[in-house]
Amino acid sequence: MTLPSNHYGQNNFGAVDGYAYAAQLSTRVSARLLRDAQGLRLVDQAGETLCTGAPSERERISGGPCLMTFGTAWTFDTDDIQGVELLLGPSDDDWLSSLEVWHPRLFAVVAGCLIGVLIIWKWGLDILVAGAIALTPTGFVSTIDTGNLAAMDRFLTAPTELSQSDQDMVRDIFAAIKDHAPYAPYGDYTLEFRKADVIGPNAFALPGGTVVVTDALVNDFNDPNIIAGILGHELAHVSERHSLRQLYRSLSVYVLIAMMAGDVGPILEDVLLEGSALASLAYSRDHEASADVIGIKTSHAAGYDPAALAEFFEQLTEDYGESGPEWMSTHPSNAERIETIKKLAAEQ
Amino acid sequence: MDTSETFQVQFKGNAQTYFGIWIVNLLLTIVTFGIYSAWAKVRTKKYFAQNTSIDGRRFDYHATGKQILIGRLIVGGGYIAMNVLFSIAPIVGGALFVAFMFAVPYLINRSIAFNARMTSFSGIRFGFTGSYWRAVLVYFVYPFLSLLTLYLTMPFVSRAQHRYYVSRHRYGTAQFAFDSKVGPFYKAFLLAVAWVVGISVVGIVVVAAMIFGSPAVMLDLLSAEADGNDLGIGHIIGMGLFSVLILIAILPAGYIYQAYLRNAVYAGASVAGGHSFTSVVKPAKLLWIALSNAAIVVVTIGLMHPWARVRMARYMAASTYITVEGSMDGIVGEEQEKVSALGDAFTDFEGIDVDFAL
Repeated sequence: MTLPSNHYGQNNFGAVDGYAYAAQLSTRVSARLLRDAQGLRLVDQAGETLCTGAPSERERISGGPCLMTFGTAWTFDTDDIQGVELLLGPSDDDWLSSLEVWHPRLFAVVAGCLIGVLIIWKWGLDILVAGAIALTPTGFVSTIDTGNLAAMDRFLTAPTELSQSDQDMVRDIFAAIKDHAPYAPYGDYTLEFRKADVIGPNAFALPGGTVVVTDALVNDFNDPNIIAGILGHELAHVSERHSLRQLYRSLSVYVLIAMMAGDVGPILEDVLLEGSALASLAYSRDHEASADVIGIKTSHAAGYDPAALAEFFEQLTEDYGESGPEWMSTHPSNAERIETIKKLAAEQ
Repeated sequence: MDTSETFQVQFKGNAQTYFGIWIVNLLLTIVTFGIYSAWAKVRTKKYFAQNTSIDGRRFDYHATGKQILIGRLIVGGGYIAMNVLFSIAPIVGGALFVAFMFAVPYLINRSIAFNARMTSFSGIRFGFTGSYWRAVLVYFVYPFLSLLTLYLTMPFVSRAQHRYYVSRHRYGTAQFAFDSKVGPFYKAFLLAVAWVVGISVVGIVVVAAMIFGSPAVMLDLLSAEADGNDLGIGHIIGMGLFSVLILIAILPAGYIYQAYLRNAVYAGASVAGGHSFTSVVKPAKLLWIALSNAAIVVVTIGLMHPWARVRMARYMAASTYITVEGSMDGIVGEEQEKVSALGDAFTDFEGIDVDFAL
């Protein structure tokens, strides 16, 4: 549909002055775009016609000149924006230019940006992450486990040196915990033993359901209740798909910020990156806390004493101390975890 | 025509119009989950190019949003694929990453060439002919060798990089050239180093005087250490002094270096036909603009970014002159091959600045 305003001025006689350049030549020609009885055309100062007809392209960024192209032969630029509008009518992408004009309406645009960022932050990322998780094939996640285990065996861990009876004890606990653990999304839970002195008494879960227990953990904390609590916690990570969520979330945040980087400027970009790093720590702490809650339920259901996990953290704090302020950490502080565990264990 | 005439570069943008463009760009980028950022980049670059002129002849930027978006999708997809591969098979991922490092010089060349070809002046596009091995040499091998000399040869490296960058550019069919003694590069380097050393010495003397002049401060420091408390007053004072040191020793040195370096590079550059350049950026002024810009942007949670950017662009333009031998007319353009924005998207992503900027 052609609005009447699109015809506005289109048959007016008139002229605008500017500079014309022939294709592939830097020579500047003082020229004028003119409409008179002979029609619309571009003429030079001597009145010679350079070309006739309407421009094939016309472009203007708010606050800048109006640039026109006449086929492949000539370009023409002018600062006389009003003159061009009178001669040719308003341009097609005027809605964008008029939105950009210095006007109180820009307050609404600023507010829109802030609201948009909040919405993306609060819901958009979760939707993206949920979508990515739904699209992730099971085989892919199992490959993450085998690939990472192979890499760790090469660079970080050594074969276990635990006695057969220690291994059997942990295997029995694992079997009991597994029976009461929530649903395993990517195939059955499996248990691995490794000697890894750099990470001390520890256990971790890979996203596909492989749980690795270090020798130091079994040697230092040879208490079935503690081991049951830790295994329950790790299986909760797998079931809740925590590591995939963190991977997808940090990737999406990074890509989004990198996309905007050119526009927000270097200072704001740094603020955004630092802020998102802190936020992802908070996200990770939430996951740890939720794994504690689920893990306690699991180990209690399997017949172990969930309060033993509190002893584990008390011992850790005694041996290694608190690891710096909580807001800089991927895990909640030991003190906070001990308190929560005791409270939850009492409720079971 | 043997007359030569000198023109100052004009920048006619202003904070009000750029603010509108900027905030609308941001809004559209947010509501499209980042997709509009490609068109936003084009619009911003066009705004700055079209408002920059020499003797009434304008610059312009010609890339399209679609082109930039395709480049970004490939690079963004590659980034995600690489990260995912790292988490599936770290060893294969690591090997692929090493292979990818060999593509970096190629991508940097492509990016410089893309930016040159998409920029025009007085109706004629710029161009750039890169060389893979020269790029490896000037951007990777030379800096590494300079490390072995404790960076004392850094000015030579910097001159080699700028020679590579400038002399491989052309304006239409007119080739750029670069010829400079290493002296001006050493001047930039040594003045910056002198600033860091000088301020650090003064800083240490002042701090020592404060501590020994005021027993209370010293006692606080000692008792904090005796407590073994990491976050004690001594730690906080230490962190405070460290930030102040960075603020007054390292940051200004960076701008001193940048200002003298720019002046040296412009003095050494020329275009076939005998046109030459002059840059008269003053370190103190540059530092003042940069620091006050940063402070104002932070205080206004980013809203004054357009004002700060326009202010910097205006100062840079006003500090730049071109001396034209005869006339800027009559320079012939060249046929353009098709170029993709892949390299450009890569350098955008990594925050490498290869802009063909005045």
